[in-house]
Amino acid sequence: MFKELDPILHSQLRLAVVSLLVSVKEAEFTYLKEQTNSTAGNLSVQIQKLKEAGYIEVEKTFKDNYPQTLCKITKAGVHAFEKYVKDINEYLNQKNK
Amino acid sequence: MTTEKNFKPEDSLKLINGIIHSAKNKLADDGFFLIFWGWLIIVCAMTQYFSVKFNFEWGSLVWAILPPLGGIFSWIYGAKQDKKKKVKTYVDTYIAYVWGGFLFAMILTLVFGYAHGLKATYFFLMLLYGVATFVTGGILNFKPLIFGSLFSFALAALSVFLGDLDQFLCISAALLLSYVIPGHMLRSKFKSQENV
Repeated sequence: MFKELDPILHSQLRLAVVSLLVSVKEAEFTYLKEQTNSTAGNLSVQIQKLKEAGYIEVEKTFKDNYPQTLCKITKAGVHAFEKYVKDINEYLNQKNK
Repeated sequence: MTTEKNFKPEDSLKLINGIIHSAKNKLADDGFFLIFWGWLIIVCAMTQYFSVKFNFEWGSLVWAILPPLGGIFSWIYGAKQDKKKKVKTYVDTYIAYVWGGFLFAMILTLVFGYAHGLKATYFFLMLLYGVATFVTGGILNFKPLIFGSLFSFALAALSVFLGDLDQFLCISAALLLSYVIPGHMLRSKFKSQENV
């Protein structure tokens, strides 16, 4: 029986955001937008979902008088990401048997 | 492009691999400070070398002027660059700690040199140049910096057998080979990755 994949992470844009954040200390919203080739609206929605799940922290500040959104992965986010990768690997191993 | 609805587990693994692979291969440093400090200290060392050689009394003053000015400039430039950065990586933090530790060790080595004579100090200064560039090269996975650091170690060993005046040539060679040349190589690699 296959394990059910985490629905929060099993989405292209949310997974891309978490994969980016797992390898950096913190990233600006604009950086995530550039790297994922997404629209600001869609990215905002997905970031909000990740925040509500407790996978990322979002800090809103100002930089040179412009609003700035900083995103950072939480311990729960790292744990969920590791579990997701493990589940995917198990799924693929079972599928290839 | 895969849509959300048909996003398969195979796709997600590809996506994760792609993002992590591109992050891993991205160079996090543009080599600016290696080039800047390399040339600045070479100018100081060579000014003192020629001033001693040609009996010009005020040559050593260069040490009291250029490094503090370089420190102020680096501080302002670093703060500006930091503001421009859209992402903070762990590599940035590790490198900051390496060079922070290097700075403390450098200041203490100069205090040691003040008390025990500068000749013994040059050996330790070159060791510190070597250690800092060796570790930075390892963190960035940039081999020219690692190889460059070996010249600092070799020149530190050589300096033990040289006279007072030749120490300045030794320091200049160490900085050229372990800071300036690898620094320029790092910068050109960084720029080529930016243009991709």
